[in-house]
Amino acid sequence: MKRLFSSITDGRGFDLVLVGVPFTFLLALSGLPLAYNILMSFQEVDMFSLGSVIRPFVGFKNYVDLLTQPETMSILRNTIVFVVGSITGQFLVGFALALFFWINFPGASWLRGLFLVSWVMPGLVVGAIWNWILSGDFGVLNFLLQQTGLLNGNIFWRSDPNFSLWAVILANIWLGTSFNMILLATGLAAIPADLYEAAEMDGANAWQRFWTITLPMMRSTIGAIIALGLIFTLQQFDLFAAITDGGPNNSSNVAQYWAWDLSFRQYDFGKGATISVIMTVFVMFAATVYVRSTRHEVRG
Amino acid sequence: MTHQIELSAVNKYYGAYHALKDIDLSIPKGSFVALVGPSGCGKSTLLRSLAGLETISSGDLIIAGKRMNGVPPRKRDLAMVFQSYALYPHMTVEQNLTYSLKINGVGKAERKRAAADVAAITGLSNLLHRYPRELSGGQRQRVAMSRAIIRNPQAFLFDEPLSNLDAALRVHMRKEIRALHDRLGATSVYVTHDQVEAMTMADHVVVMRNGVIEQQGKPLDLYDRPSNRFVAGFIGSPAMNFIPARSTPDGRALVLDLAEPQTIEFDYPLPAGRALMVGIRPEHLVLAAADAAGFRVDVAAVETTGAVTFITTATTPEIVVALNGRSAVAAGESVRLTFAASNVHLFDAETEQRLA
Repeated sequence: MKRLFSSITDGRGFDLVLVGVPFTFLLALSGLPLAYNILMSFQEVDMFSLGSVIRPFVGFKNYVDLLTQPETMSILRNTIVFVVGSITGQFLVGFALALFFWINFPGASWLRGLFLVSWVMPGLVVGAIWNWILSGDFGVLNFLLQQTGLLNGNIFWRSDPNFSLWAVILANIWLGTSFNMILLATGLAAIPADLYEAAEMDGANAWQRFWTITLPMMRSTIGAIIALGLIFTLQQFDLFAAITDGGPNNSSNVAQYWAWDLSFRQYDFGKGATISVIMTVFVMFAATVYVRSTRHEVRG
Repeated sequence: MTHQIELSAVNKYYGAYHALKDIDLSIPKGSFVALVGPSGCGKSTLLRSLAGLETISSGDLIIAGKRMNGVPPRKRDLAMVFQSYALYPHMTVEQNLTYSLKINGVGKAERKRAAADVAAITGLSNLLHRYPRELSGGQRQRVAMSRAIIRNPQAFLFDEPLSNLDAALRVHMRKEIRALHDRLGATSVYVTHDQVEAMTMADHVVVMRNGVIEQQGKPLDLYDRPSNRFVAGFIGSPAMNFIPARSTPDGRALVLDLAEPQTIEFDYPLPAGRALMVGIRPEHLVLAAADAAGFRVDVAAVETTGAVTFITTATTPEIVVALNGRSAVAAGESVRLTFAASNVHLFDAETEQRLA
């Protein structure tokens, strides 16, 4: 008994406790739900079997059914467009802003902080704001486009199947840009100033310095921000709920919103779980990229 | 002699702060010039102004016969070795060395050959494919030097390049840098706060304080004839002793203002009856023979390195004596010190300028 006690306070037992506590936590709150989700994707689940774990096993039927459904392909395509469009937009605008504030004019850091306002706002609130901006009849966006002569008639951003997905992408870019900017600004600030001076002495102009110093030194930051962007955009739900509800006719529906729709509106929990599993695979991939890129930091 | 770098009446302001005041400096081709002074004296600002990393507010800056005042650093054809080395961490040693060549459009084969040539000179040949983070401090220092050498620039600018190395390596690199300079026939400007580095490496030492050049000249000229009290105290290690004094009305003796006034006579033409600051280097003080002229002091501490014995006195101001070899003198004793008249430096008590 005494040996057991001393082992727990100072020894092998102590190590096991240290590992065991977080491991139990992870298992209970992440591992089990994940495993349960995978299990559900191989079962037939409806409102009446929701309470039991043992349900009819259907093999890959949920997966096959999903792939043969007519809307699947367009929703997957939407998901890809949404992810690529959002990440590209957030990254480019975020990087441009980070570089802009890097000039460090008076008030730059204060102003940069204000940009975070968009990021701390709840998605549903952002969605509501963008609903007003995007509104077809009296929205600010249409007004601006018409006043600048880019547009003649009104675009009904949220209800036109050609634009509905882009309406959400636009809002999502606005939402995620400041987070990109802050991370990229941190990366920029971490590059020692004397590297630029050395490059300048070595004959590099501003453009060459950007390509040969800034970008390579930012590699790990950029890798991380894109991987995080992938994770965040695949989690984006509020904006769809607030702006288009996935419509019209699934034209702005994406996998994550569809999974929710299948599970909690159509009560087809098996298929909802199936989509979640597919998305989990993609997110795991992104997470691997993220972890690897943070591990490969090049500093000093 | 042609001048590689010429500065005339150069001034630099940061807002209201006057960082460089009327700097005149001519650097002959092939010479090694050290800018030395305490921190904040403007030596780094001066170097960075040469490099173009700072712009000068007024005056003329001429490099290799061309006025370079507003020319950006990349067009000045100067190479700089930074205190932090500023190696590109994402590039191998070879890529670091050839960066400037690549920027200037030199072909790949030629770049490789140039890198190999320089690496052979600086002893980096088997490190060419390493990254800076895999190198030791001394090796990084060499890469930084090689990166400058490969460009064959108009002049090399060194910004305290040895201050991040340990003492032994610093002494070694000191010789190596000077040897490289001679071998390449280069023109070098070297900033340091360490007067020993300046004295041992340079042909021409520029002592700065508060943005002003206090004195410039050959290292030993500065040692032998410092033009003011600041230079006298800055050059030489251990530092020169300064003793307030007054010359007797007949100009035949000095009355040293120690705790109790001490008179020392010597046959040296002194300005008569005047308040002075007497400077005497520790290595020029000797123990006086019993009957010789001298002044009496109490010994506070004796330290010896074996080769040199340092005696610190209990007087105000404190006096340090450096005696060759060993000494039987012990703390608490009373000894008599003397010095050769030719080794005395006299400064005006008010202006602190040298008196003839």
